[in-house]
Amino acid sequence: MKPSPPPIPSPGTPSRKQPAWRWLLPLFLALLFVTSLIWLPLHEKRQESMERQEQLVADSLWVEQTIRFQLQRNEESLSLIGTEIVAGYLKGPRLVGRMERLIRDNHEIHRIIALDADGRLLASTDETPISYRELSAPSRHAAERARMLHTPLYSEPAPDVTGPVMIDFHVPLFSHGKYIGCIVASYLASSILNDMVPWWFAQDNEIALTDMNDTLIYKRASGGAGRDVYTHTRVLNLAGLSLKLKTNSVKGAPRLLPSLLVDIVILLSLGLLWSLVALWRDINRRQAAETALREQINFRAAMENSLVTGLRARDLDGRVTYVNPAFSRMVGLEAEDIVGRVPPMPYWAPEAVDEYQKRFSQVLAGTVTPQGFETIFQHADGRRIPVLIYESPLVDGSGRQTGWMGSILDISERRRIEDLNRQQQEKLQASARLATMGEIASTLAHELNQPLAAISSYTTGALNMLARRQDEGAVDAVSLTHALQQVNAQAQRAGQIIRSVHTFVKKREPAREAVTVAELVDSVMTLVELQAQKYFVSVRTGIPAALPPVLADRTLIEQVLLNLTRNGVEAMQAAPPGRRVLRITAGVEAMPDAPPMVVVSIVDQGHGITPEVAERLYSPFFSTKADGMGLGLSICRTAIEFHGGTLTHGADPQGGTIFRFSLPALQNAPIDTTMPSDEASPVGSA
Amino acid sequence: MLHIVDDEEVLRDSLLWLAKSRGIPATVYDGGKAFLAALDGIGRAAAGQCALLDVRMPDAGGIAVFDQMAARGLTQVVPVIFLTGHGDVPMAVDTLKRGAFDFFEKPFNDNKLMDRVQEALAASERAAAGAAVRTRLAALSTREREVLDLILKGKMNKVIADELGISMRTVEVHRAHIFDKMNVKTAVELARLLK
Repeated sequence: MKPSPPPIPSPGTPSRKQPAWRWLLPLFLALLFVTSLIWLPLHEKRQESMERQEQLVADSLWVEQTIRFQLQRNEESLSLIGTEIVAGYLKGPRLVGRMERLIRDNHEIHRIIALDADGRLLASTDETPISYRELSAPSRHAAERARMLHTPLYSEPAPDVTGPVMIDFHVPLFSHGKYIGCIVASYLASSILNDMVPWWFAQDNEIALTDMNDTLIYKRASGGAGRDVYTHTRVLNLAGLSLKLKTNSVKGAPRLLPSLLVDIVILLSLGLLWSLVALWRDINRRQAAETALREQINFRAAMENSLVTGLRARDLDGRVTYVNPAFSRMVGLEAEDIVGRVPPMPYWAPEAVDEYQKRFSQVLAGTVTPQGFETIFQHADGRRIPVLIYESPLVDGSGRQTGWMGSILDISERRRIEDLNRQQQEKLQASARLATMGEIASTLAHELNQPLAAISSYTTGALNMLARRQDEGAVDAVSLTHALQQVNAQAQRAGQIIRSVHTFVKKREPAREAVTVAELVDSVMTLVELQAQKYFVSVRTGIPAALPPVLADRTLIEQVLLNLTRNGVEAMQAAPPGRRVLRITAGVEAMPDAPPMVVVSIVDQGHGITPEVAERLYSPFFSTKADGMGLGLSICRTAIEFHGGTLTHGADPQGGTIFRFSLPALQNAPIDTTMPSDEASPVGSA
Repeated sequence: MLHIVDDEEVLRDSLLWLAKSRGIPATVYDGGKAFLAALDGIGRAAAGQCALLDVRMPDAGGIAVFDQMAARGLTQVVPVIFLTGHGDVPMAVDTLKRGAFDFFEKPFNDNKLMDRVQEALAASERAAAGAAVRTRLAALSTREREVLDLILKGKMNKVIADELGISMRTVEVHRAHIFDKMNVKTAVELARLLK
């Protein structure tokens, strides 16, 4: 709990404007990021694609060279054979053996035949030798040209009589310028690619062999069809024959997002963007919540400030952590003077400190009752304020109790009205009693008036008559007798009226019983405490258990006790709190020549009794109280005297007054049990 | 005649006895109704009358009786003295303003009461006499009233005849009638009566 709500910045424009530029930088960065995110893969793709193309070109070049080198080596081997044939060194089976060895070493060569100048077969590596006639037309054409040009030549690829497309290499043989035949090495078009291209290259690329018109001769696609993404065409220039070697990579274009790394980066970026958006939304929500909270706080602050109920928050140590303006006003202290204080508080009234401490420990122990309790606070100017306090636990966000919140209601006005009401009620009752007394008096007067008036008339008449008759010398005895009889009767009647009033008042006979003073005090203690609490007076009794009982009218003596204690308590209204103690003590007093008396003393520490007041203290209708009838002490004294005791008072040496009444102790005190009727009215309160 | 009206028998009796001791003739009534019943006869009686009314009576209170008497125009001929208990004084003062003779608060001084009763009886007689003269005057004719006025001014018959423009003889006849109707013998007697 804060001491007081922090000053709230007015929900104004500055905080609204801020986001405009604050969002610019992140937005720019996000754009940059997205741009580079798009550009980087594209760039990489281009790079990769270029690299692949270059690789393909290099590989293709290498393959082409390999083929050419191989073919050249074969050409050389065949030329060597041809030379040896021309030299006549190779003939018959040796020639075949030589040719077969060549084939064995070079799988790409399908067959080798040797022909003489007329085209007759000299030797063949095949089981079923092929004749010159059976060679394809392009082959034969190439043979013609080779003989004419005196140089070995390759024929155009064409299928021969056996079926497959062949490329024949014709080596014309000349001996001293005379054509003596030729050697024809046939390459299967397929085996040029199948046997002469390394497998790893074939795996990655579709390789096609075409003539210069792009007519397909053979295609090797062991690694699958080409994607037409990376392609390269190399011209394979052979003697008398030009072919194209086309490579077409089976690899497609590089994918835009090829690598896991990039994938992850993109994923993360998307995540980042998402969290940015989420953050933005969260901030918006937070701002909305903040605004709402601020409004709530303002609302609550206004509410607290407008309250007339005091609010006070305390932590678990009893330290005041917050008070609202109403509370400050109530006790007349600034909030700064109260907040942070631990008991005793500056607004505690000294006389009620014990109560506070008890209450406070109850609150700390958690045994606080939800319904309010009444106590008093002291205003800074010393005035006492009756208050009604409700306490309830203060719980923080996590449900843990952090202290206590108390609302304090100033009930002085209510109290004042209650007091006023009660006073008015008492006044009303008093006047009602007076009215009743007046009514009785009036009735009595009327009743007595009649006989008195009659008596007066008779006697006056009689005197008149006597005066007149004296002049005449005679008195009418009969008339006078009548008048006097009437006077007598009326006097009797008046006496009867008085007696009937006595009888009426006498009806309530006192009931006397043996009681102890302790019993009497006990029975009125609740009422005495009630009176005393109102003025924060503590009542102490000191009554020995061994006191003899007294014979008394319980009600009367209880009324006397109530009256005297009430006077004592009220006398201490203005006394300092420490002195507000009322003591009730009792003891036995034994004089040598008198029966022992039980003496009860009621000792207050109030303002005392001035001599002027003391003079008239027991007079009826005398009172020092604004609303008193002045009958209390008078009736008390009558009641005590009726019991055979005395009611006296004296100044307490410690300040204040002692009222002391005595009652005869029972064991040897003969007590008159009849009571004069005019003293029998119950003891009222002064 | 004193009329004692009270519901208390003892008071009635004592007051009657008191009146007798002063030589005042008196009668008693035990309540307002009884008195009102006898009232007409009382009003016509020649001698001095007086009523002693108790304010508080069970059947008809003194004030009510007084109101009845006022309504019949008898409060002059029969003066009323109220006897009041305590606390009725303002009411009694009010009746004084309306023509009651007096009021006494109980307990009263008896002889003073009787003195006032005698004064009331005298006032009653005067009022009764005045009433009789007014009755006789009412019997005169208009011309006789004119002649009467001039006689009272002390004028001779001749002067009266001149002033009224009638004959001496006629004036004498009127004069004889007036004396006859007013029940007097001489002009001096007439003047005393109408003083």
